[in-house]
Formats: sequence, structure tokens, C-alpha cells
Amino acid sequence: MNKYDVVVIGGGHAGVEAAAVASRFGVKTALITHDSSKIGEMSCNPAIGGIGKSHLAKEVDAMGGLMAKAADKAGIHYRVLNSTKGQAVRATRVQTDRELYKSAVQELVNNENNLTVIEGSVIDFKIKNSQIKAVLIESGEEFSSETVVLTTGTFLGGVMHTGLEQSPGGRVGDPSSEKLAKKLRSLNLSVGRLKTGTPPRLNKHTIDWSILTPQPGDVPTPLLSYTSKKEERPKQLDCFMTRTNKETHQIIMDHLHESPMYSGVIEGVGPRYCPSIEDKVMRFSERDSHQIFAEPEGLESDLIYPNGISTSLPLKAQAALIRSIKGFENAEIVRPGYAIEYDYFDPTGLKHSLETKAIEGLFFAGQINGTTGYEEAAAQGLMAGINAALKTKKQNAFVLKRDEAYTGVLIDDLVSLGTKEPYRMFTSRAEYRLILREDNADMRLTEKGRNLGIVPDELWEKYLQKKRQSSLEFTRLKKVKLQPNTIEAEYIEHQSGEKISNNISLFEMLKRPKVFHSHLPQGSDELPTNVIDEIEASVKYEGYIKRQKADIDKLQRNENTPIPETIDYKNVVGLSNEVKQRLSEARPESLARASRLPGITPAAISLLMVHIKKGRRLVG
Amino acid sequence: MIEKKTIIAPATASGRGGISVIRMSGPRSEVIAQEMCGQLADPWRFKRCEIRSGENLVIDSCMVVFFKSPHSYTGDDVIEFHCHGNPTIVNLVIETAIKLGAVVAEPGEFTKTAFLNDKIDLAQAESVADLINAQSESAVIAANSSLTGKFSDAINNILDELTAIRVFVEANIDFPEEDVDKSLLNTCVDRLKSLSDQTTQLISSTVGGVKLRDGYSVAIVGPPNAGKSTLLNLLARENVAITSDIPGTTRDLVKVPVNLDGVLIEFIDTAGMRDNPENEIEKEGINRSREVIEKSNLSLVVQDANRIVEFDFGMEDFISVYNKCDLYGGQKKNGEGVFYITATTGQGVPELLKGLVNKLDIDEGQETAFLSRQRHVSCLTEGGLRIDESLTSLEEGQGLELVAENLKNSHRVLGEILRPLSSDDLLGEIFSEFCIGK
Ligand SMILES: Cc1cc2nc3c(=O)[nH]c(=O)nc-3n(C[C@H](O)[C@H](O)[C@H](O)COP(=O)(O)OP(=O)(O)OC[C@H]3O[C@@H](n4cnc5c(N)ncnc54)[C@H](O)[C@@H]3O)c2cc1C
Repeated sequence: MNKYDVVVIGGGHAGVEAAAVASRFGVKTALITHDSSKIGEMSCNPAIGGIGKSHLAKEVDAMGGLMAKAADKAGIHYRVLNSTKGQAVRATRVQTDRELYKSAVQELVNNENNLTVIEGSVIDFKIKNSQIKAVLIESGEEFSSETVVLTTGTFLGGVMHTGLEQSPGGRVGDPSSEKLAKKLRSLNLSVGRLKTGTPPRLNKHTIDWSILTPQPGDVPTPLLSYTSKKEERPKQLDCFMTRTNKETHQIIMDHLHESPMYSGVIEGVGPRYCPSIEDKVMRFSERDSHQIFAEPEGLESDLIYPNGISTSLPLKAQAALIRSIKGFENAEIVRPGYAIEYDYFDPTGLKHSLETKAIEGLFFAGQINGTTGYEEAAAQGLMAGINAALKTKKQNAFVLKRDEAYTGVLIDDLVSLGTKEPYRMFTSRAEYRLILREDNADMRLTEKGRNLGIVPDELWEKYLQKKRQSSLEFTRLKKVKLQPNTIEAEYIEHQSGEKISNNISLFEMLKRPKVFHSHLPQGSDELPTNVIDEIEASVKYEGYIKRQKADIDKLQRNENTPIPETIDYKNVVGLSNEVKQRLSEARPESLARASRLPGITPAAISLLMVHIKKGRRLVG
Repeated sequence: MIEKKTIIAPATASGRGGISVIRMSGPRSEVIAQEMCGQLADPWRFKRCEIRSGENLVIDSCMVVFFKSPHSYTGDDVIEFHCHGNPTIVNLVIETAIKLGAVVAEPGEFTKTAFLNDKIDLAQAESVADLINAQSESAVIAANSSLTGKFSDAINNILDELTAIRVFVEANIDFPEEDVDKSLLNTCVDRLKSLSDQTTQLISSTVGGVKLRDGYSVAIVGPPNAGKSTLLNLLARENVAITSDIPGTTRDLVKVPVNLDGVLIEFIDTAGMRDNPENEIEKEGINRSREVIEKSNLSLVVQDANRIVEFDFGMEDFISVYNKCDLYGGQKKNGEGVFYITATTGQGVPELLKGLVNKLDIDEGQETAFLSRQRHVSCLTEGGLRIDESLTSLEEGQGLELVAENLKNSHRVLGEILRPLSSDDLLGEIFSEFCIGK
């Protein structure tokens, strides 16, 4: 029989991170997936990053994950979004070549030791006394393991819709997982349905590029990963912009009755923030135009991804609406857009380690937890993989806090609040936004990763070097003083409009909102951008960060007040039955976590506090 | 399963009177009341009942009403017994209920329960105590207006507008690719400005509300033997309603609360002060007086008109009072901040008091909107400061994330007025001010 320490099911974005990181703990790991040639497949838009998402991708990267490295090997168009705003909310977005991305991920997976890729469709679990024991694949083979990470994405009970036609499937060209879905529905887990969609793909040669607005990538071109090198990046391409118009919207309105969403065929809830064009037209009826980015799917690919018009209208309507758009008058649809409906599990059934509360040793990560997006999946995959491996070693779970990482925010939100629609990351979800930045994901996490043993030497060296450079530069900025009426002072004034009337350190100067590092006299070493970014952000946000840290300390008190596992909420005097039930279901580990549950008022928290204190007094 | 307590306490002051009300709240109150009085009327209807003790003796014949949860003061089931106003009856009723499982309520426990059941917010809960303790008509009106939620509404309005602006700012951060209307961002400046004004205004009425709640304090200072105590005695005598024990001349502070045209003013007599204190005791008394001067809203500097001495103990706001004018031959014309009186006869004192009210800037005509606390002022001030900072960041074109950060902090601190975040200590403090039965 095949025995593994950790079995990961699904070779999507969550699965590959989970499998790779688990194997780095030196435990025998298997990645079971339908088709090994599809490992790292991007079901939708071939792009990584974006606001909130790039933060996740960088965090995964800072702990040795694969996503950002693969994206840089395949990146054909880079932009920094929010570049006119401050560091904390700037976000890198990379358009990738779909094929290059896939092969980059596969190469990274193949390079891991202790990791075996197995092709097969998982159809059943063996569970004994609420402990996972083994997984079975369609061919009849069994793999025994006491820690299993499930990352099957949109495949469980997947149904694809184009117009009123529907067919089972996990994504176009792939089968859905019916037997496994049935098995999971029979377990003590709360199952729901969600939906998402994708636009039709267009033939590159049938678009009139000459009348579209080009949107070149940013120069200098950034990188997503802390360890990628410029030379690894392929050639860069432009994207193009166009817009929907009144006619487009009329076509959509005329065909709405054929839309599976609006005719009531789809019951799953779609993402509010990544709405279909039908949704946008209905919801923002006052707008007569929406933006579309025409994005190449790859260097060699003939496919164009028209970003912004995800739709599940029937093919005929899709064709009409496409042709109503400027530049797309003669465009040919190569593959129709569709919506997909799938099973997800209420994530409040998970511990913060992403292990299910119902079945010991079974971890969930990715889309099945109600999220949407590659980066959200990758971040969960990484954490589930770490915790599965730690579990085999009987070590405590590794949990990131809300002030440490977006990954922490993501998991805490899911586990505490659950989700009613596909959950996508945003910077506004993070209360410590100014601390959680792209430029310091490594400063926040690489050391933690190294302590776990999952950070490769190359990343560790880079991190140490950045730390060294940044501390030297801080010293220099504090030491070097500017004097009025010098060339340096004049240069700064010219660049920023800031006058220098007294002797002032470079550090103090940099605190002023309009002064940037590039305005200051430079030291002898040329510093990499990510060091400068980190320095600028920490100086400019200093006052705010101090306040945020003070808040964190205050909250820490509650965070550190554990709620005894044995607590019986029925005995907490004063709580309403509703609150009692919610707490009994969620079983939060600390007061702070309890306070984030929906419907839990501060009043309830104080009652809980009193109860816990009393209990302690009785015991001690 | 441990059940929530059923609490009971007299809701009216003890003593003999027409009726006394006893209030009982909690899950068992209906059952206990039935045990004591037999079948009750439908909820919210009075019924005349005979209350029986455990020994089945009739204690009283009284009116009983049942308020069914959640439509009751506390949000739990509530019973009120309106019995004859005799402390013995009240005690018997409560004892009987206790034998049947009720427990005596702690001070403020009924209101605390209402807050914990989300029937009222914290500012409203505070105003309950204030209403009970209010000592003047304007304070009563203001406390009521807080209790009915006027103050909470004002805060909620600010919070709502903050939310609307925040949603917009956050959308500009998280969806820069979408077509968020940039011109709307400019209107944010105007909206923030008006929000800032709104907050400033609310702060000033809140400061007024704090004064109304806590009243004013006026220090009576001056050299020894100028007649300070005589003046204080006179003020105290004029207000027979106010009982206070005034010891003879000592070095201790003597405080006399006086209700002046509906405003509470506390007069504090200090030890006589001179520049060269003769001994340790006197020195200490002077130090204490200095503190009083600092904390008071105003000082009355009382001098013997016939023996004026130099007197400066760092008072900022003061009125000069020249006493013993019956013996004084000079000109006695009152002027700006100067009054001539004879404390022994009361001559000139009414004019002095009028001048005092003027100087304290107590606007009698204007009704203070709410009764407030220092806690509210601090939260509002901090919240207003953050709104102003967000405005600066927006106008100076600093990153939008800083605008957002300031707005978030403002939102949080203002929200704490109604629903505190870390509630433990704060709640304990607030509800400890209550009397039993509320
Ligand atoms: C049509 C469509 C549109 C989308 N639109 C968007 C969008 O607009 N925006 C956005 O952010 N995200 C979108 N996504 C979501 C994005 O693709 C997912 O969030 C992301 O891929 C989730 O990663 P995952 O690892 O959880 O699952 P997936 O990437 O779906 O990977 C699942 C893996 O599990 C394997 N698998 C499944 N069942 C079994 C089984 N029984 N045995 C073995 N292997 C199995 C599959 O072969 C696959 O390799 C869309 C997805 C689809 C399908």
C-alpha cells in the first residue's frame, strides 16, 4: 500500500503551494491531481497580483512559495496599480503567458525533494473515528495518510453554464468531481454553492488594434518575487483598452432572460467585486459604458482575454455584444464565456490552521473555502501545507495574525466570519494596512519561514542583505545633515518645493510628505528599489504606524486571553441564546477572535470576560 | 445550564409614601410573580392582585404589571409591583420573591441589563444615571434628551456620514481600475469640512452638557478674616433645600452646592491665604487652596474693604469682592468684575450672584441640548482631530491611504461613545454610579 505523510489533492494554485511547502519539512508528500500537464493551470485570466492580491503573492514568496517566481518567469506585462498613492496600497499586477506560467510551476514542483506527483481522480476518503486515514482514486488505488489537504477548486459538483445550456465540468475542458463531491456532502460539513464566470476568448487576428488605446507596461518593469532576476523575464507586450457602449448594454438587456443568473437557473452567489457584465449593466444602470482591457494570453497565443466582460449569456448574444464594441466589430469568439457553479464549504468549520473541525487531519485550502482568485488560493495552500506538515510532526499550528500578514487577515476573516459570496482580498480588509505592505512582506515573514525550515538559502541571503542595506541606510540618513543654501538643499527644494532653513538630517527631511529618497544626496552604495521603498514607507508612515502598534498592543490583551476549550457557553450568564449558539458553533480560541464573530457585541464580550475571570478564580 | 439571574429591587426611594414600586427582571420573573399573586393580566396591563407571602398570608393588595421580553425596560421579562408605600411591605415583597429564586439587584443592574441586551446604547445608559441625579430643571431636560437618543442621534449622524465618505475613499484605493468618479473625490473635501464643523459644534454643546452635569465650581479665596465663611454661610442659608454640614472655621475645604437659577454651582471655601504662612498646617492649607483655584471655573477673591492687602495666587478668572462695606466709607460702585457687599446683612449679594452668572457665561436662555460626560468630550475631540487630519492629507495630496487611516480612527473613537470596544473597565465604572433599582 502507498503510505504518505501528507497527501495534497488538486494541482491548482492552492495545491502546488501546499505540496511544495509540506515536502520542505522533509515529510513524504504526494500531490494527486487529474492531469499532471495541467498543474498550475490558470482557469481564468492569466494574471497574478492586483490590489490586495499582490500583497498575498509577495507574502507567499517571502516564505519561499512558488507563485511569484513562476509569474516572473512568465510575466509579459507589468503594472504598479495605485502608483500615485502611498506604498501601502501600491500593488503589482503581472500579465503572464499562460503556457509559460504552467511550465514554470511544473518545473518548480518537480524540483522539490520528497514530493511525488500522482495522476488520478480522487473519489473517496477513508475516515475512522473522525480521523482521516486514506484517499482513494478512481483506478482503485489507495493512498494512506493521516494528513490530507483538499484543494479541488471549482471542481466539486461543478456545473458550467452558457446561456440556458449547462454541462458538468470543473472548468472548460476538465471533468467535475462528482463522486468526491458526493462523499464530502455526506460528511459533517456545511456545504453551499457559489458561482464565478469568465469572458469569451477572442481571436487576436480579428481585432482592429489600430483604433484601440494601447496601455504599455510600466518602465522600469518591476518584479513580483523577491528573488527573481530581470533576465528571467520574457519579452514585454502592450495591453489595449476599449469600452462597452449603449448598444452593448441594450443587447445585454434584450438577452437577460437567457442568462442563467437572471432566469434563476444559477442559485450560487457570484463575486460582487468581479461581476459579470450582466451584473454591471443591471447594477449600474446609470452608466452607459464600462472599461475593457484586451489582454494577450501569451507571447505565442492567438487568444485575447477581454478583461471586464465576463458573461454567461448564450453564444449568439455573446457574439452580438462583442461585435458592438469598438475594435471588436469583426472579432471572432474562439471560446465562449461561461459561468461555473460549484460546492464550497462554510469556512467557519475550519480552525485557524485550516484543518477542518469535523475531521482530524483533513485540511481545506483554496476556492473550496469560498474564496476566489489564484493568490487567495496560494496563500491558503501555503498555510495548509505548513500546518499539515507540522501536524505530522506533532508540532503546534503556525498561524499568522492580522497585524502580521494579509494571509492572516484572509484566514481569520474566513474562519471567523465565513463568507456568503466568493471572498476576494482587498486592502480595506486589513486594519493594519500601513504595516502590511508589498515592500516589507519579506521583513515581516521571511524569518518566520526560515525558522520553519521552508525558506531556501537564496531567499534567505537576499533577505539578510536587504536587512543589512536598510539598516546602514537608516544610519546614514540619521547621521547626514543638510545645510541651507547648499547645492543639495537647492536640489531638494527644486524637486519637492520643500525649503531647508536650518540644519536638518536627511531622515527628518524624508518625513516631509513631498520629499522622496531620490531627492536626497545618495550614499556610496546604489540601493535596490525594494530597499528604498521599505525605507520610504517606514519613515513616512512612522507616526501612523506607532499608533497602529499601540492599538495592536491593546488588542493583544484580548488576543492573549484564551477562552478555555472546555467552556460551556450555556453557562455564561447574560448571553442571548443566539449569541450562545454562535459561540458554541464557532468555538473561538481567544476573546479577540470571539469579538470578530458576526453578531457578537462588545457587551457579549464583557460578559464572556467576566465569566472567564470567574472561572480562573475558581480554579486558581 | 446556568440561567440568567432574576433580579429584584425597589424602584422608588425608601420611606413611607403613596406607593412604592418594586421591579423584578429576568427569565423567572413571570413565574415568581404568579406564585406570589396568582394569575397575571395580559402583558402590559395592570391588574389588582393580592400578594401572598410564603406562609400564604396576604402582604398587600397592589397593582401588578408584566412587561414581556423584549418589550421591557431591560429587554428581559419584567414585573412591577406597585404596592402601598410602606418600607415593611416592600421588604416583605422582596423577601418573598427571593425565597422563590430572585436575587437582589446590584446598583444599576437593570440599566446594565438593558445595555447588554442592546436595548440602549452606552450614552443612553449613562443618561439614565444622570437623569436620576439631575439637580436642576435644565439638567433634567438635557438628561432626558440624551436618554431619548438625541445625543446618540447626533453621533450616529456623524458616523453615517463618515461611513459614506470612507466607502468612497476605500473604493478609490481598492478599485483604481474601475471608473470611480474622481470628481467625487473633490466633493469629499467639502463633505469633510462640513463634518468637521458639525463635530466642532457638537463638541461645544457637549462641553456645555458636561458643565450642566457636573455643574460649576467657584472658589472663595482671600486673606484671612475677610469674611469668606460668612459669605458662604449666607449662600448656604439662602438655599435651604441644600443640606450641608458646615463646620466652623477650620483649615479644611468647605463645599456648598447652590442651585442658582437652575444651574448647579458648588462654592468652595478655602483657608485664608497669606504670603508668609506661619506654620506647616497653614502651608498645607494654602497648597490645597491653590489646587482648588486651579480646578475651579472661577474664583471669588474676597477682601475686607477696609483692609485691602495684596493677594495673588495665580487666579486666572476671578471676581473681586469687597466685604464689610457697612463699615466702609469710600466709594462703593460695582464695576466690571468688582462687587461691594456686606456679607453679614446680605447687602449687595444678589448683584454679586448676577455678576457671577454672567462671568461664568451661563447662557440661561439657551437650552443645553444634552447632558454629557468628559468621556464624550474626549472621544469627540479625538475624533474631530482625526477628521481634520484626514482633510489635511486630502488637501495636501498625501496618499489616500492616510486619509483613509485618519477616517478609520475617527470612526472608531466616535463609535466608542455609543459602543465601547474594550468594555470591561469602562462599563464597570459607568454602572457603578447608579443607585440600586435602576
Ligand atoms: C470559469 C472560471 C472563472 C473564474 N473567474 C475568476 C475571476 O474572475 N477572478 C478570480 O480571481 N478568479 C477567478 N476564477 C478562480 C480561480 O481560477 C480560482 O480562484 C483558483 O484557480 C483557485 O485555485 P484552487 O487551487 O483552489 O483550485 P483550482 O485552480 O481550480 O485547482 C483545482 C485542482 O484540483 C484538481 N482536482 C479537482 N478535483 C480533483 C479530484 N477529485 N482528484 C484529483 N484532482 C482534482 C483539478 O484538476 C485542479 O488541478 C475563475 C475560475 C473559473 C473556473
